Amino acid sequence: MERQRKAKLAAALGAIVGQDGIITEEDELRVYECDGLTIFKALPELVVLPRTRDQVEAIVRLCHQERVPFVPRGAGTGLSGGALALEGGVIIGLNRMGHILEVDVPNHRAVVQSGMVNVWLTNKIAGDNFYYAPDPASQTACTIGGNVAENAGGVHTLKYGVTTNHVLGLEIVLPDGEVVEFGGKALDPPGYDLTGVFVGSEGTFGICTAVTLRILPKPEAVKTLMGVFESIDDASNTVSAIVAAGIIPACLEMMDSLSIQAVEQGIRAGLPTDAGAVLLVELDGPRAEVEALLPPVSRLMRQNKVREIRIAKDEAERLLLWKGRKAAFAAMGQISPDCYLQDAVIPRTRLPQILHEIAVLSREYGLRVANVFHAGDGNLHPMILYDGRNEAELHRAEELGGKIMQRCIELGGSITGEHGVGREKRDYMPLMYTEADLEAMRKVRQVFNPDGLMNPGKIFPTSKSCVEVGAGGRDRIGYRPHRLEVMGLAQRF
Amino acid sequence: MVDPAVLAKRARDVVGAEHVRTGPAAAPFAVDGVTPGVVASPGSEEEVSRLLAAAYELEAAVAPWGGGTKMGLGAPPLRLDLVLSLARLNRVVDHEPADLTATFQAGMSLASVQAHLGEKGQFVALDSPFGARATIGGILAANASGPRRLPYGSARDLVIAVRIVHADGTVTKGGAKVVKNATGYDMNKLYIGSLGTLGILTEATFRLYPLPAVEETHLSAFPTLEAAGAAVAEILGSPLVPHAVELLSAGAAPAAARAAGISWAAGQVGLAVLMGNVPEAVRAQLQDVARFCRGAGSTADHLVTGAAHTACWDAIREFPGPGAPRSLVLKGSVPLTRVPELMSRGEGLAGQRHLPCQAVAEAGSGIVRFYVDAASAPPERAADYVETVRGVAAELGGHLVVLEAPLPVKRRVDVWGPVGKALRVMQGLKAQFDPKGILNPGRFVGGI
Repeated sequence: MERQRKAKLAAALGAIVGQDGIITEEDELRVYECDGLTIFKALPELVVLPRTRDQVEAIVRLCHQERVPFVPRGAGTGLSGGALALEGGVIIGLNRMGHILEVDVPNHRAVVQSGMVNVWLTNKIAGDNFYYAPDPASQTACTIGGNVAENAGGVHTLKYGVTTNHVLGLEIVLPDGEVVEFGGKALDPPGYDLTGVFVGSEGTFGICTAVTLRILPKPEAVKTLMGVFESIDDASNTVSAIVAAGIIPACLEMMDSLSIQAVEQGIRAGLPTDAGAVLLVELDGPRAEVEALLPPVSRLMRQNKVREIRIAKDEAERLLLWKGRKAAFAAMGQISPDCYLQDAVIPRTRLPQILHEIAVLSREYGLRVANVFHAGDGNLHPMILYDGRNEAELHRAEELGGKIMQRCIELGGSITGEHGVGREKRDYMPLMYTEADLEAMRKVRQVFNPDGLMNPGKIFPTSKSCVEVGAGGRDRIGYRPHRLEVMGLAQRF
Repeated sequence: MVDPAVLAKRARDVVGAEHVRTGPAAAPFAVDGVTPGVVASPGSEEEVSRLLAAAYELEAAVAPWGGGTKMGLGAPPLRLDLVLSLARLNRVVDHEPADLTATFQAGMSLASVQAHLGEKGQFVALDSPFGARATIGGILAANASGPRRLPYGSARDLVIAVRIVHADGTVTKGGAKVVKNATGYDMNKLYIGSLGTLGILTEATFRLYPLPAVEETHLSAFPTLEAAGAAVAEILGSPLVPHAVELLSAGAAPAAARAAGISWAAGQVGLAVLMGNVPEAVRAQLQDVARFCRGAGSTADHLVTGAAHTACWDAIREFPGPGAPRSLVLKGSVPLTRVPELMSRGEGLAGQRHLPCQAVAEAGSGIVRFYVDAASAPPERAADYVETVRGVAAELGGHLVVLEAPLPVKRRVDVWGPVGKALRVMQGLKAQFDPKGILNPGRFVGGI
């Protein structure tokens, strides 16, 4: 954008939100140049921070009228380069719209602004013994608007589903500035399920300004077990055995030996460093159910050669069992300069096979891969360890990531379970969808975002080669843990 | 109107003469009094695709047809040339018990799906009515659901992948056969509940659930809806995990009680709370339910188990039952706490208009169904009733859809009700996916 035009736009935006709501200086704009996946960077030309729905509407109308690309952004914790201003233009930061608008416990609903931080809602309704179920690992930072855009998951999705299962209504500013409402507190609104279509649209359909959410009574009881296994196969087979027995735990989380070692070098969570894998199982629900399921889960672990079972007796012990799992990603910094985090999904029964294949590929590419994952729903989070200072190694890491995604698709899976496609995986879309499949998706985008001004360059493959290699550098793929993560106080995956 | 002879020839070329009906043989496939010139039953997805491509070329209006149990849903069609029956697409495509996923062709009945999965102790967590005839494709197109949606959600929560044939015959898929997927737009949501106006579903993949070890129900009688509603509020606000919570108006409760083999005092409202779980948890939770009910003033409390349990829930789900008058069926949806009020006001307004009416509510989901005998009433009066109850639902923060109605009533009301400014987006989607308007024209919201 030429200088004069930018100054004019900044003045017009400033008139909407006030001078304290606009960022124009490059050093401040740098904050907005990437999300949690620092591989991709794009400097926005302006950042604007509205406080109200009306301000968002006015901003969008202005951008639409001036043909300026714009991108909504929450906390920037996304992991697919989704909130980047790839074609320049304006980033609309929703962080100042963080209010809980209404808590309606008797109707099991809450209405919140999209900039509200995920965990605030659960904190607010904890006194009523209610909570908001989707708990992405970044829940102490990430916003509901970002969760809606990415259809965020979390560790309890096996039993409770992902964001889309809990969003019942949306207030949206469409890319031409028109404000529409989809759904609401009552279920099954007539017409197409636009709420469902919008969730997971990665900021390409409009900016949601308010969200109606389902809230749930807290389970009566929670019980957490950790199984220590000699091999990842035994742990995987335990997962299948639990599911085959008709038990759906609140979560089934697994870590492999490399992850365990990284954690123990870091925060020392008391995990056995010679173990092949640890499996965390959390049961929740009515007390009688949890107590009845505990013995069969333990028995299935033993049948699959568990070496040791630790059962949390109280909340403190439960947090201790979770500590290692929560710190796993940040801990990679202990054993590798850089780490490329992936998010592919496979049918649960293919777990042992894909883990073997990843091990083989890891040897083939000469790069270590650590695995920490949501075993219950087959959502892998392979972490490819590399040194970004070595350009060749960086390329190998990217290629290996592509290979893993490809194998997951061949085994009947998906390239992303909860992080979204964004900028990062857009060129891998053809692995999973035919041109006709993609064309059907483009038709939907055409309806919402006909001018392509909203969040351009995301989701859909470019005409370039499958694995596009841009400007190199230490941080290209790199995930950098925040210091809170290093301390085991926050996590993301 | 497309020349039926031309259309029939094209259809025979695709599916074979034995799978095409014309003339009087097509009459049973009339939709709201509009008889199609041709009924064709393709035997494969490829045949569906070729058939639709031909219809698209001829600009023939198409209505997909599964088991025919929901053909009353929607406005009367603007045009209808071809009914495309999915009856022959009735196979299990895949089922991986350990993955808790399975894929079925669209024409398979819900009952055969459940029979197949039941052998492995699993099920698709949908219990919409008329399962013996209702097909997977029809259930998804109509977004039908039943009492057990309370813990499991509805089709939008259970479908993880679909295959669909678009208006011009193009075949695409949405989603993936894994329980968690954030790759691209969630196309499944677009098609579920779209009443076949964007494409014709040929396959759907579900996330499955294990069948509960035991299911038992607490059935209570209450003197008023308000008292029963107070018990519902206690139950839903507690950590109990009921699998269904149904409120039955005084007119509807006797049918459920009769099926359960329970004698029922006249004028009493019913509350049925279903627990599905391991035996210990079923028993413990039902004790809590009984306590909540007595605290709210129940006049009789019954435990329903075994064969009586199955019969009781069949009666609730398929109320008012075979042969009973059921000419006008409305579905209201409101915030949970407003359910008793919608029930009583809806019945009261019917009474004022001398329309026999019973209400059955999925109280845990905020959904109230009114079963009205409007067959002998003037259509103006029934239409006025629909609009008035819709106004009440809106006032209570919800909406109301007509599920079934006599044609003269349909001609006088908007069966779907208003959808607000979102209609613009919906019309845009219809124009993108079906630019010639051949799929179920006129039957969906806003004349889509």
